[in-house]
Amino acid sequence: MRGRAGRRKAAAWLLVLPSLLLALAVLLYPFWEILRLSVSDVSRFGQVRGFVGLANFARVFADPVFRAALLRTLVWTGAVVGGTVLVSAGVALVLRQDFVGRGLARVLVMLPWSISLSMAAIVWLWAFDGDHGMVNTTLRTLGLLHGNVQWMARPATAFPVEIGAGILVSVPFTTTILLGGLSSIPGEIYEAASIDGATRLQSFRHLTLPLLRGFVNIAIVLNVIYVFNSFPIIWVMTQGGPDNGTHILVTYLYEVAFRLGRPGPAAAVSLVMLAIVFAATLLYVRLQRERA
Amino acid sequence: MRVRAMVAAGLVLLGSAAARAETVRVTAAYYSDKTGPYFEQMAQQFHAQNPGIDIRIEVVNWDNLLQKLQTDIAGGTNADISIIGTRWLLDFVKDGQAEALDGYMDQAFRDRFIGTFLAPGQIGGKTFGLPIAASARALFYNKSLFAKAGIGAPPATWDELRQDAVKLKAQGIAGFGLQGKAIETDVYWYYALWTYGGDVVRDGHAAFESDAGVAALNMYKGLIDAGLTEDGPTNYSREDLQNLFKQGRVAMVITAPFLINQIAAEAPGLEYGIAPVPKQARNATYAVTDSVVLFKNSKVKQAAWKFLDFLFTRGPRVTFNRNEGFLPTTKAAAADPYFTTNARLQTFVDLLPDAHFAPTVTGWEDTAKAVSDAVQAVYVGQMPPAAALKQAAAIANEALGK
Repeated sequence: MRGRAGRRKAAAWLLVLPSLLLALAVLLYPFWEILRLSVSDVSRFGQVRGFVGLANFARVFADPVFRAALLRTLVWTGAVVGGTVLVSAGVALVLRQDFVGRGLARVLVMLPWSISLSMAAIVWLWAFDGDHGMVNTTLRTLGLLHGNVQWMARPATAFPVEIGAGILVSVPFTTTILLGGLSSIPGEIYEAASIDGATRLQSFRHLTLPLLRGFVNIAIVLNVIYVFNSFPIIWVMTQGGPDNGTHILVTYLYEVAFRLGRPGPAAAVSLVMLAIVFAATLLYVRLQRERA
Repeated sequence: MRVRAMVAAGLVLLGSAAARAETVRVTAAYYSDKTGPYFEQMAQQFHAQNPGIDIRIEVVNWDNLLQKLQTDIAGGTNADISIIGTRWLLDFVKDGQAEALDGYMDQAFRDRFIGTFLAPGQIGGKTFGLPIAASARALFYNKSLFAKAGIGAPPATWDELRQDAVKLKAQGIAGFGLQGKAIETDVYWYYALWTYGGDVVRDGHAAFESDAGVAALNMYKGLIDAGLTEDGPTNYSREDLQNLFKQGRVAMVITAPFLINQIAAEAPGLEYGIAPVPKQARNATYAVTDSVVLFKNSKVKQAAWKFLDFLFTRGPRVTFNRNEGFLPTTKAAAADPYFTTNARLQTFVDLLPDAHFAPTVTGWEDTAKAVSDAVQAVYVGQMPPAAALKQAAAIANEALGK
């Protein structure tokens, strides 16, 4: 009996093996390469010149631009994900209502999803152009502004604009998730609640929110991963400048790797980023489980 | 009879050798929309003369060129020949990617070049890059705007430039176009630094943190604070500034001769002149060459060299320079009537004796980045000039010469 079960098990492993190997190769090979580069002295063109231990990491952590970018990445991720979930929740609640033209409105909200991030960033860059941008023109027409604001000339104005653009491009995806969540809640329970005398606010707090929690969680986790690693918006709009004032880790990583030609430290940065995303996801899942 | 048969057989053999065509792959940098067609045309002409060699051209944007080469080389799929920024050459040579060309060149080939331009491609006494493109920088000024503000001649000094900018401002015109964004933000400040008598790098160390450097940066900052530049310089890349100039929205800008071609194509009505970079202690300009290199791992070096030889003959050179608006790098091209009768281009040529080239030292890119960050910090008012330059010098010194 045991021999037979063992053979069956072996056969199962044998059948799974090819795809397992493929998955491992696809996952582990790049990871191994990055690990190797991160502890090596690597030339611009990828030639490994020798083992340097943790020198690349030390060098990266000693760089004030890296530390500033690390902090800014947290602000960026927090602000964009937080803003996105808030805006999307509102949009999803509105789109769930039955109104004339709802189909059209849903399409309009989803449509920006099909635009590449770089294109969206270019459009917003034009919108915030200092001389001819739609934003300045509108503000002037409304009398809110005299003269022009050069939005992209200073980190203090450029970075919030980038966060805004980040929120807008993340809304369609998040709205889709939340809308799916809302449509999975049966309408009867609201009826029951209103018969029991619950106000709309109460039924939102005690019915909608708890039932939506799983979807909000998914939206947050996925968005954190996307936004944390989101390169195009900041790169297209300011390339991390002026004076490194809008770098997040991923744009810093690109600059170190390709502008300054240092694959070793760049590999170190990417490992740090991987660790952060991994830790954040674990922590979040853990927290949610404890609460539930 | 027998001899004829042998000759015939020999010819057949030769023919079959020729039929086994070699393919030379070329990575070219995108200079303008004429670049691709130019290289395709050259490839065809060359192929007509050398039926045994096929040339395959790939045109890549400057912004992505280095990254593409890095990736290609790391993966072993690089082309046989590539155009590169000469400032990258040292990295290629140190890693053993570029082939020394001296073995292929004879004295006659060497003599084709204007000496000044051949030097930047030489490292440790060997030639690794041939100057395919060269440019210098000068001050473009808008004659109509100058007339409107009652200014007769272009400014010869920075003080005059400031006075002119004040007059222009009174007419509601942005006087001096100041670059504060993207690639070459540092260079735009070097113009002032050099004319103030300063240096970027001296004896392998950062030298820009000097009295001249602080004075030059103070001067730029003073222009910004007095509203004599375009609004928000850190928002404007070199291309943005050139566009402002073409639109007549800024009266002066320092840039390369290729703006001449752009103006002719996009703003033919613009009345403008070209003058040397304003001086303080001395005259100065920035000269840049782009190099073409032959990769060491190429399997068709002889064929590739043949194509290079062809590219540096008179006809292809004149067409290239004329298309792209670059300065001639060979004597034959410089003697062409197109240059000798072109007063605008001559202004640039006359500046060459005072030209500074980017030095071939490791860490130049890091230095450029550190200086760009520093001047940006000053332009937006985040740091005073002396402190910003000091910080940049510390960063640059860490990377220089390593």
